[in-house]
Amino acid sequence: MEIVAFLIAFPILAALILLLVRNEKLRAAIVITAAAIIMIASVYLAINHLFAPALSIGLTELQGEYITYGALLVSIVCAIYIIIKGIQHKRYFAIILAVIQLCAVVLFEFLIAHNVEIVTYLYVDQFSIIMALIIGIIGSGICIYSLGYMRDFQAHEDKLGKRDRRPIFFALMFLFLSAMFAIVFCNNLVWLFCAWEVTTVCSFALIGYTRTEEAVANSFRQVVMNLIGGLAFVAALVLLGSMAEPVLEFTSLINLGAAGLVMLPIMLIALAGFTKAAQVPFQSWLLGAMVAPTPTSALLHSSTMVKAGVFILIRLAPCFGFNINGMMVVLVGGITFLFCSAVAISQTNAKRVLAYSTVATLGLIVACAGLGTPEAVWAAIFLLIFHAAAKSLLFLCVGTAEHHIGSRDIEDMDAIFERMPRLALFMALGMLCMFVAPFGMLIAKWAVLVSVVQSFNIVLMLILAFGSALTFVFWAKWLGKILAIAHSKAKVESGVHASEWFALTLMAVLVVMASIWFPLISQSIVVPYIEGVKTGVLSGLDLPFWEAILPTIDYDNLLIMAIIVAALLIAFIFQLFLRRRRTDKLDIYLSGVGLDFEKRTFRNSLSGETEATQRNWYLGSWFGEKTLLPLASVVSVVVLAAGLILAIIGIGGLL
Amino acid sequence: MNLLSFAIAFVAFLVLGPVLGCLLAGLDRKISARLQGRVGPPLLQPYYDVRKLLAKDRRSVNDFQGFYVLLALVFSILAGAFFFSGGNILLVVFVLTLSTLFFVIAAYSARSPYSEIGAEREIIQLASYEPMVILFAITFYVATGSFNVSSVLSLDVPIIAVLPLIFCGLLFIITIKLRKSPFDLSYSHHAHQELVKGITTEMSGRTLAMVEIMHWYENILFLGWIALFVVWASWIAAVVAVVVVIAVYFLEIFIDNNFARVKWQAMFKWSWLVTLGLGLVNILVLGFFL
Repeated sequence: MEIVAFLIAFPILAALILLLVRNEKLRAAIVITAAAIIMIASVYLAINHLFAPALSIGLTELQGEYITYGALLVSIVCAIYIIIKGIQHKRYFAIILAVIQLCAVVLFEFLIAHNVEIVTYLYVDQFSIIMALIIGIIGSGICIYSLGYMRDFQAHEDKLGKRDRRPIFFALMFLFLSAMFAIVFCNNLVWLFCAWEVTTVCSFALIGYTRTEEAVANSFRQVVMNLIGGLAFVAALVLLGSMAEPVLEFTSLINLGAAGLVMLPIMLIALAGFTKAAQVPFQSWLLGAMVAPTPTSALLHSSTMVKAGVFILIRLAPCFGFNINGMMVVLVGGITFLFCSAVAISQTNAKRVLAYSTVATLGLIVACAGLGTPEAVWAAIFLLIFHAAAKSLLFLCVGTAEHHIGSRDIEDMDAIFERMPRLALFMALGMLCMFVAPFGMLIAKWAVLVSVVQSFNIVLMLILAFGSALTFVFWAKWLGKILAIAHSKAKVESGVHASEWFALTLMAVLVVMASIWFPLISQSIVVPYIEGVKTGVLSGLDLPFWEAILPTIDYDNLLIMAIIVAALLIAFIFQLFLRRRRTDKLDIYLSGVGLDFEKRTFRNSLSGETEATQRNWYLGSWFGEKTLLPLASVVSVVVLAAGLILAIIGIGGLL
Repeated sequence: MNLLSFAIAFVAFLVLGPVLGCLLAGLDRKISARLQGRVGPPLLQPYYDVRKLLAKDRRSVNDFQGFYVLLALVFSILAGAFFFSGGNILLVVFVLTLSTLFFVIAAYSARSPYSEIGAEREIIQLASYEPMVILFAITFYVATGSFNVSSVLSLDVPIIAVLPLIFCGLLFIITIKLRKSPFDLSYSHHAHQELVKGITTEMSGRTLAMVEIMHWYENILFLGWIALFVVWASWIAAVVAVVVVIAVYFLEIFIDNNFARVKWQAMFKWSWLVTLGLGLVNILVLGFFL
């Protein structure tokens, strides 16, 4: 119990201290210490509760009341902050949304929530602990990485004569972690919503950090979309609070939802989840978030923000399945997966490829949640774990590469294997983990396939078949590009900060360990979690489709995959460090007129020297954003609208 | 799948795979020659070629290409061993994809304009055939109630009875996998339509020999996929499977010799349309009867 409170409160304390510190060395010391404490605390929590049954934490009424007023105050501060920023930049739509939300939250608290009794304020089970480990280890790791990255970043900003605002940056990063811990632990929906809004405001401030015109525009796009989601959330709370027997506890809500009640509130919360998880048609805010410094992107994509969205949806999975909500969630996730995988092919900017791949993967997780079977939940949790580790590794790699080769364009990463060998290997590892067996993500995708077939969802079957092929295209061509070998390139790796190496190594180790320990994680954590849901949150319900056949993939096959990961690792270590190098290299073929084979130049028809250039294929006319995204948005909006209308009619029918 | 049956299948495929694959390749060249009105090389010509390649000096454009091709070869053998030991069909598909990835990386690593084009084309080929392969794997589950290849041995009727359209779709994309014209974009045996030597442009000696051997292994594995459709719990199945496989391979040789290579756009579009059309109809019908 204390450790949970500590995890939520401690990052806030760290954030407050960091806000006041302007000395760079002192800041580094504080960030490293705080990050280490958070990591240790989350591991401590895991050791104590990971293998135990779910823990429901009640509080005295007075304690509960104090925290509720605190949460209300935080919500008000958040709304006022957005309003002030909106007035500064004349963004009236954001102001209107924030004002509506402010009024709704205050009225809701005093008219409705005040009278609702809460028994379980905090809830800790294996899934929240998995999330806590992701936030605590990966999130803190990214904070450490930011130290080195932001030094280079500020050096660049200094040249432009911009003020050093790093204290705010680091404070926001830690505040973000705190809010995420609150989201995964709070069972009181009012508190959860408060933390939800804090993540919106934190990412708003982080995206707008550079204060350029583009950054401000994109930060407001983010805040508008997430405020729409927030309003949906408030609407759900109002509906839930004004029922004859009001429910404002997450676990009770899931129980009711699984019994087929409270369809509309669940749909509204799912909508809030879509906005946070950047599902089509809300994907553009996450793409816009790329203007922020890279650690922000890494944090938003891997351990916070978008993960809050899918966390809520996975929790709600038992409420989905063969109903309107389930179909809507599956379709929105499926459409997002298919179209964003396709669009990623057309992107040359590495960060945008990563962003589209994030959105696509989240789509897959959302679709799994929508299927609502235990097998699909198993797959979704693994997708989430591996995506967090691999994507943070990739973002941090791209960030470091950008500072040393001066570009985030994939074409400029040509032969980075020679220029920054260690970094290229980390990057390759992250990519492999994202799209091929035997690494984690693909095993999870395999499980998605199995659960889709078992629930015989024809649309998702087709989407998965086509989408997976597209995923291969954009990863494989990027991976090929970075692993190209040109011996003439000079190394530029020496300037990478130690803090960056530390974080990169941490993520790489996580990726490999999680892949090798996959069977173990399944047996000892994920399967017990799903069984715990059945006997715990869903107790008292007769749910034939929640009869689990777990693990979704046979233990034998999981073991085979783990063995292949280990074997590949050994093979690569051998190849990289132990194998004798040969010196007699052949030249590449340049039609017999090559001049400098390392620079790929040849003698042209005027006896001059021309470089043979070769770009990757991006196939813009087939997979471009303008070609595919409007279509995806239209389809998704139609699905959402149809779902909402049907749910509202359903409510009307009940009345 | 237990360890013993896997070990037996692994050794059997390791030894018999290249023997059969080599003979098949020889037969292929012989029949192709006859179709073109030539006498053609001896049946064992593919073997002589590979033996000669293996005897060449070990020189390469870089230290990594051979390593990547070796990994590609190992994983394609592994995929075949999983398949013929009756293992999980999705496992087979994924391990084979890994093999293709390493082959693509091997081509990229050379940083040569020609092999890069070959690699890009190989990627597009994979994107063209992979959806059908995945649909094949998941409809296999729907038809047999298991992802295990061995489950066909206990069927009363072969799965072609319930998956006829999936079978046709697989026939379409198997042309890509067997590297037959009109879909041999990345790597072809027909010199007249090849861009230098496609994805293998920078590969020579032992590395190229490994590519050839990998091709033999893969061909046998793909014919195994075809055979899977016509196998059921009866000894007659063995005969039927052999006949069907030979007929299909002859059909592929026939197509190979009668079509010129198409552009990637056509391959991609037609593969996806065929997959979507045949796959969807077959799945809908399956769903209706379930």
